[in-house]
Amino acid sequence: MTSPTAQPLRILLPVAAPLFLLGVWALLSYGGFTPAYMLPPPHTVGRTLWIYVLGEPGSAAYAGRFAGDTLASLWRICCGFGLATALGLPLGVLSGRLRPVQQLLAGFVDSMRAVPGICWLPLALVWFGIGFRTTVFLITLAAFFPIYLNTAAGVASVPGTLVRAGAMLGLSGPGLLRQVVLPAGMSHILAGLRLGLGLSFAYLVLGELTGVPDGLGATIMDARMLGRVDMVMGGIVVIALIGLACDRLLMGLLRLTFVSARRCRE
Amino acid sequence: MSVLLEVQGITAHYAQPEAPVLAGVSFALAPGEIVALIGVSGCGKTTLLDILAGFRRADEGEVRLAGQPTVTPEPDKAVVFQEDALFPWLTAQQNVAFGLKAAGVPRRERRAQATAMLQRVGLAGSLDRLPRELSGGMRQRVALARVLVMRPRLLLMDEPFAALDALTREEMHDLLLELHAEFTPAILMVTHDVAEAAKLADRILLLKHGQGLLAGFDIPLPRPRDLHSPELATIQAACRNLLAHGPARA
Repeated sequence: MTSPTAQPLRILLPVAAPLFLLGVWALLSYGGFTPAYMLPPPHTVGRTLWIYVLGEPGSAAYAGRFAGDTLASLWRICCGFGLATALGLPLGVLSGRLRPVQQLLAGFVDSMRAVPGICWLPLALVWFGIGFRTTVFLITLAAFFPIYLNTAAGVASVPGTLVRAGAMLGLSGPGLLRQVVLPAGMSHILAGLRLGLGLSFAYLVLGELTGVPDGLGATIMDARMLGRVDMVMGGIVVIALIGLACDRLLMGLLRLTFVSARRCRE
Repeated sequence: MSVLLEVQGITAHYAQPEAPVLAGVSFALAPGEIVALIGVSGCGKTTLLDILAGFRRADEGEVRLAGQPTVTPEPDKAVVFQEDALFPWLTAQQNVAFGLKAAGVPRRERRAQATAMLQRVGLAGSLDRLPRELSGGMRQRVALARVLVMRPRLLLMDEPFAALDALTREEMHDLLLELHAEFTPAILMVTHDVAEAAKLADRILLLKHGQGLLAGFDIPLPRPRDLHSPELATIQAACRNLLAHGPARA
């Protein structure tokens, strides 16, 4: 039985940190500790966001661009994250189950993942030009490593007794992989996908620095050039909220699809 | 005597070829027989069980089940593991139905069979509970139900009750004997507990590291057995003596 205080705590705890940050922000800006051009007050950012989301396009700077920017960015995320998943999951499974594959990939992956994304940007621009493909490349690169590494770790850490139990009960090959190995490694796989998705948003902004006309990152960079710190902060808030929504959506989809994901402990 | 399981000259090594962990182990099991395989830790009991189950290959020798060579895992020679080997993401009922699903049994039928088997092992009220919500004894009941629902002819048990407290272990002994009487699989139970072997088995085999089987003791006594009876006390003492000192000083 849950205690009477458990329910309010369950609601309050997740919003405690954002509320604290908002309080600090309000204190600094309304208290006059920082100039408005460096840290606009919350109500200014709120008004900017209102115009950005609901304003008539053309009525003011950034007015009504939210839907277009968000769709453009989400499409890039979908392509990049989808590619990373399509590559990272099977390679991770192979690496976790087959020692030679792990040995083949370990050195390469460990060296490549140490290279910061910004280093790939000039090369990506040469290879793919300015725009969509460069952004998708960067997102794929960023999301691949956590997905691959966590999948490999999850699959490799599946207890031998579970695999043996599955074999003893009549499974082998793909059936054993699908019904025992992947569900048993699901908590690692979920963690990898969530990390990959989070990094996708980080690299989305990097990719959208390269001169694409729309997208959340592009808008933030444009606002920086114009000294619109309120829009920069508004963009950050939007990316944070969309990132949270995408994370919840990913978890929901996986839990809907896989029993093992549904029964993972967070 | 008809033979269900025939083990001939099984030899297995780990790293050093000159020091086998199993050296020419041979024995046979009749249908429905309960045999306990006893040995001290590290003597190769689990290695032998792994070979019989098809989890690893012997370096030499052959295993036959009902006259046919067998080298891979199969539901007809089911295994109850030493440690908890239930699938943690499945409920008790889904765990028991797992093998039936792999065998292509329709959903409704496998659910009915799994439910009936869980009722049989005393877990009618725990069908929808996850393994982490069950006690150690309940998990081993599910493990037993999971293999017995497949109606195996041979049940291989690797110290299945070693992790349980004494009271639960007693309950599991009684349950195992009841289930054996009902489903009549041959059982090869690996244990290091001489009293457990004397209580349950029709025959005890003693295994010593690198020496193969030292001896076998038939126990033609009815169950339930009194472990303090002179016959069983003598057999237990002989087993302990052989394990401690080997055949030369027995």
